[in-house]
Amino acid sequence: MMGTEVSSSPKTLIDQIVVPGDVVLDLSSMSNQTIKLGSGLRQDNDAISAMRAGKLKYSKPNKYWVESSHKRYVPRPEDHVLGIVVDSRADNFWVDIKGPQLALLPVLAFEGGTRRNIPKFEVGTLLYVRVVKTNTGMNPELSCTDASGKAAEFGPLKDGFMFETSTGLSRMLLSSPTCPVLEVLGKKLSFETAIGLNGRVWVNAAAPRTVIIVSNAVMNSETLSGTQQRIMVEKLLERISD
Amino acid sequence: MEGRLANMWRLTVNESKFVETALKSELRVDGRGLYDYRKLTIKFGKEYGSSEVQLGQTHVMGFVTAQLVQPYKDRPNEGSLSIFTEFSPMADPSFEPGRPGESAVELGRIIDRGLRESRAVDTESLCVLAGKMVWSVRIDLHILDNGGNLVDAANIAALAALMTFRRPDCTVGGENGQEVIVHTLEEREPVPLIIHHLPIAFTFGFFNKGNIVVMDPTYVEEEVMCGRMTVTVNANGDICAIQKPGEEGVSQSMILHCLRLASSRAAATTKIIREEVEAYNREKSLQKVKRHPTLAKSEVSGPIVVVKEGDKKSSNQVKAEEISVEHVERLKLSSDEVKSSSEQEAASSPSHFKGGPSSWDPYSEAMDVDSLKVSLASKESSVTKSPIKKKMNDDTGNAQKEVTEDIEKKDTAEATKQKDGEMTLKDAVKPKRKRKNKSG
Amino acid sequence: MQRIYSQNVPPSTPSINLRRIAAAIIGKESCEVTTMEYVNPEGLRLDGRRFNEMRQIVAEVGVVSKADGSAVFEMGNTKVIAAVYGPREIQNKSHQQKNDHALVLCEYSMAHFSTGDRRRQKNDRRSTELSLVIRQTMEACILTELLPHSQIDIFLQVLQADGGTRSACINAATLALADAGIPMRDLAVSCSAGYLNSTPLLDLNYVEDSAGGADVTVGILPKLDKVTLLQMDAKLPMETFETVFALASEGCRAIAERIREVLQENTKQLEYRRAA
Repeated sequence: MMGTEVSSSPKTLIDQIVVPGDVVLDLSSMSNQTIKLGSGLRQDNDAISAMRAGKLKYSKPNKYWVESSHKRYVPRPEDHVLGIVVDSRADNFWVDIKGPQLALLPVLAFEGGTRRNIPKFEVGTLLYVRVVKTNTGMNPELSCTDASGKAAEFGPLKDGFMFETSTGLSRMLLSSPTCPVLEVLGKKLSFETAIGLNGRVWVNAAAPRTVIIVSNAVMNSETLSGTQQRIMVEKLLERISD
Repeated sequence: MEGRLANMWRLTVNESKFVETALKSELRVDGRGLYDYRKLTIKFGKEYGSSEVQLGQTHVMGFVTAQLVQPYKDRPNEGSLSIFTEFSPMADPSFEPGRPGESAVELGRIIDRGLRESRAVDTESLCVLAGKMVWSVRIDLHILDNGGNLVDAANIAALAALMTFRRPDCTVGGENGQEVIVHTLEEREPVPLIIHHLPIAFTFGFFNKGNIVVMDPTYVEEEVMCGRMTVTVNANGDICAIQKPGEEGVSQSMILHCLRLASSRAAATTKIIREEVEAYNREKSLQKVKRHPTLAKSEVSGPIVVVKEGDKKSSNQVKAEEISVEHVERLKLSSDEVKSSSEQEAASSPSHFKGGPSSWDPYSEAMDVDSLKVSLASKESSVTKSPIKKKMNDDTGNAQKEVTEDIEKKDTAEATKQKDGEMTLKDAVKPKRKRKNKSG
Repeated sequence: MQRIYSQNVPPSTPSINLRRIAAAIIGKESCEVTTMEYVNPEGLRLDGRRFNEMRQIVAEVGVVSKADGSAVFEMGNTKVIAAVYGPREIQNKSHQQKNDHALVLCEYSMAHFSTGDRRRQKNDRRSTELSLVIRQTMEACILTELLPHSQIDIFLQVLQADGGTRSACINAATLALADAGIPMRDLAVSCSAGYLNSTPLLDLNYVEDSAGGADVTVGILPKLDKVTLLQMDAKLPMETFETVFALASEGCRAIAERIREVLQENTKQLEYRRAA
């Protein structure tokens, strides 16, 4: 692990900002061990370099990835995303998940789905779905069931409001412990939300007012730190209660 | 087909339903009230006549340029104003490169109608030589980001750019009094356009079968709404243009309601624009102080022949070296006088002949931006200018002669003009016949 | 409202002469806009009409044999022909955006010989805008939701232009759509009005239109009493606009009445023929 160049040492680069082309790890200087590379990293012979700008993350024992925030989404299996039905064909629904290609949702990929009970979705229906397969050269495949074939919470989302943010923000919203925005909002207001890893967020509540407050608070929290988020939401709620 | 599906930005059923239900309880998705406007910021570029307007997420750039051209045959003594729009594909995935689409054409036409048909810009003052040379002013509007309500943003960008635009001053001279001389920016203060009033566009979106109306719709609202109307009004409460291009019908009372809303808003928006423009002008005038030494010197070396101002300016120049602030005021004063004198001239001749004080200068065939930049950069190094100064001195001898001739010519020209002003139809035909005879 | 005096309408005046005169007047008149007298002290306009008088309307349906519906609409010297094809299968798939509505397409063009000077370009910005405006006006009156997965084409050609072409186009399109049997909410009708010599004037002709005064074009759905189209240029104070707007709406209603008559007459004719 002791590289001659200090800059290439992972110890110093972890939790640091890397830009495309930065050599993150030098395999030649490493002892014989396997490492796992996540998104945003690329192997070029002995050099592991970043291909996206973001924060280099490391988790024990051997996982490395670059964390960044984008408007586009690159599908990964087992991600939960929000998709919009674009077209329905005989075998598949075409779903837009903000990825490079449209995703396919087989008409049978529902709990207890058979040829006889194919659901009908009009164009523009919002779905909470799970990414199943992402083979290169093929459109990604989606499913409205969990791995065991149960509907879980997947399926069409009725009413409410959907807005688009970045992948980074949606990851923050999903992180545990609950991020400050949702936490503070949740104490005062009751609402329902579905967050897709592709940066789409759906919010529903009894009153349209609540939906608007929550969605604007979430959208505003994009560039704020935890404390700032808290202050922002508290101010917002104060103003509204007046 | 698949490609098109993938590249289209689309609205979910949830969004469109929610926008409508929220509006029923007078709420908008971005938290605004029904008639609230988004935040408007106006910025200006370094050069004259460029503006950048940000209305919420909508971002539009305006740029005004002018060129000397032959006037249209049916309007021999009017300059022209034309508007070009560019919907760059970078602003919205639905904008396609190449020829302007329907919406781009419509946007241009709405702004064009608001500005031109209401005669907001004085096109007659853009005439240099009736029937031969007029200024053609071109407004380019570039959409940089589409966050909804492009029309209003583009209209404000156009106005802001027009108000800060300065065209180079020019005079008519030469042997036959038909030659147009364009003065470079360091030679003469460039001339602003005459803008009579500011027609400001307000766009309304109709929802729920035309029963709900909102101002300044966003991108999402534009997708949902069933109708749209743009009302162009000025601060005096005059309606300059209306565009409601079909779509859902609304009641007459609703339309009148919108008109009233728009005219109540116009004054506030006019004020914002005027304030921004004034702030910009102040900044510009501060820059001018720095530029002046070279300007003043050139004036002394090549005495400009208009006698009235000659005295004023030279005395002005002496004091100028003492206090720069005072200087600016004086400069304004003298430029005011130029205006008033030229106005007098204009008033004396009934036709719209805009000659202005004439002088003859061999160097300025056209406005040279580079030379301006150089002069700006080398304010201190006026020493290097001396050879040029000499040349100027040599020429001024000739120039003076020429100019006296000029003045005579102009007088006679004006006299004939005066006569012409009383004549009617034949007048328009005459110059053509002359030209034909020449060519024949 | 709609007073048509045959002696007031210049009987078959060649429109070109009229426009020549117009061009001459405009050439002179460009510097001083309102010196020209458009309404004489007796309250008569240049072509002898009163301020609230429309030009003679001649309308006929079924003039293009190939089209599913067609009409000719004349208003004084303005003459427009409209042809409607559809509802038919969508020709260009790339247009398909809304599946549950019929797609309405419209093409407005002015014949090269329609004005005094020969018109040069065909697809200029004005035509593009008018096509858009007319399409959206017609879309509002067609029950597009009844005809999903289909396309309706409206072709409009101005044969003679003497002011008020967009109104004439909308009226012609309405007649042609009715002739084609396309389901409509109401008749979309349009009329223009202007303001010259401090008088509101109904149905401007070319000379009046190019005088530089205000020009308000209104399109309404008369039975629903809704305004679909409203275009206006030049400067007008609010109150004046209201009167001009009211006058134009009044004109629309008169035209709607006339269009009804034409359609009724046509329907009767069809029935006679069937009976015979």
